[in-house]
Amino acid sequence: MLVLSRRIGEKIIIGNEIVVEVLSISDGGVRLGIKAPKETSVHRFEVFNEIEIANKAAEIAISEINQSVLENLSAHICTK
Amino acid sequence: MSQNHTKMINIQGKEHSYNDHQVVNFNEGLVGFPEMHRAVLIPLAEYVPFCWLASLDNENVRFIVVNPKQVFDSYQPKMESADEAETQTLALVKISSDWRKTTVNLKAPIFINSKTRSAAQVILNDSTYQLAESLPNT
Repeated sequence: MLVLSRRIGEKIIIGNEIVVEVLSISDGGVRLGIKAPKETSVHRFEVFNEIEIANKAAEIAISEINQSVLENLSAHICTK
Repeated sequence: MSQNHTKMINIQGKEHSYNDHQVVNFNEGLVGFPEMHRAVLIPLAEYVPFCWLASLDNENVRFIVVNPKQVFDSYQPKMESADEAETQTLALVKISSDWRKTTVNLKAPIFINSKTRSAAQVILNDSTYQLAESLPNT
């Protein structure tokens, strides 16, 4: 892992377009400003990680599929 | 010339036919499945409104998806840089053998551009939408 020291107001650049700036530091927390192209998604890592876990769980849950589950789900949604 | 040959895919031991227009391209893959770039959408005709979303890159990766607006009437995810009229929205379904415990991921829907067939899973900042939303009236 690359480790860099930065002060308030200083920036780093990732690739040619993604710029991260240290905006403020307080109580063990850091506020970062991030400039990235529209198509680059930026998220708190925990949020991304949660989605990853949910996607994997949805994929594994395919094994719970059977005809009766699908029949019930379809009937429930179509008659709501 | 349009090439629209019918192809076959095996999902859970059953053969399904599909055409090129059912294929979607995930440029960045799905979250947690970065290698899933091409997938096919196959409606479960007997179990409307559910569809298979089956990876064409890995035969073991299959999902059940649904148009979330058909399940949750008020679902209105904010689309940045997307034209709503041209965007198809899908949500991943986590099936449970107790069907009432099945949940839908409203926090990270899949947006598909109907014209280009390019698809992306988007993580919404809206905190009203849950990762595992229960079905209404269960």
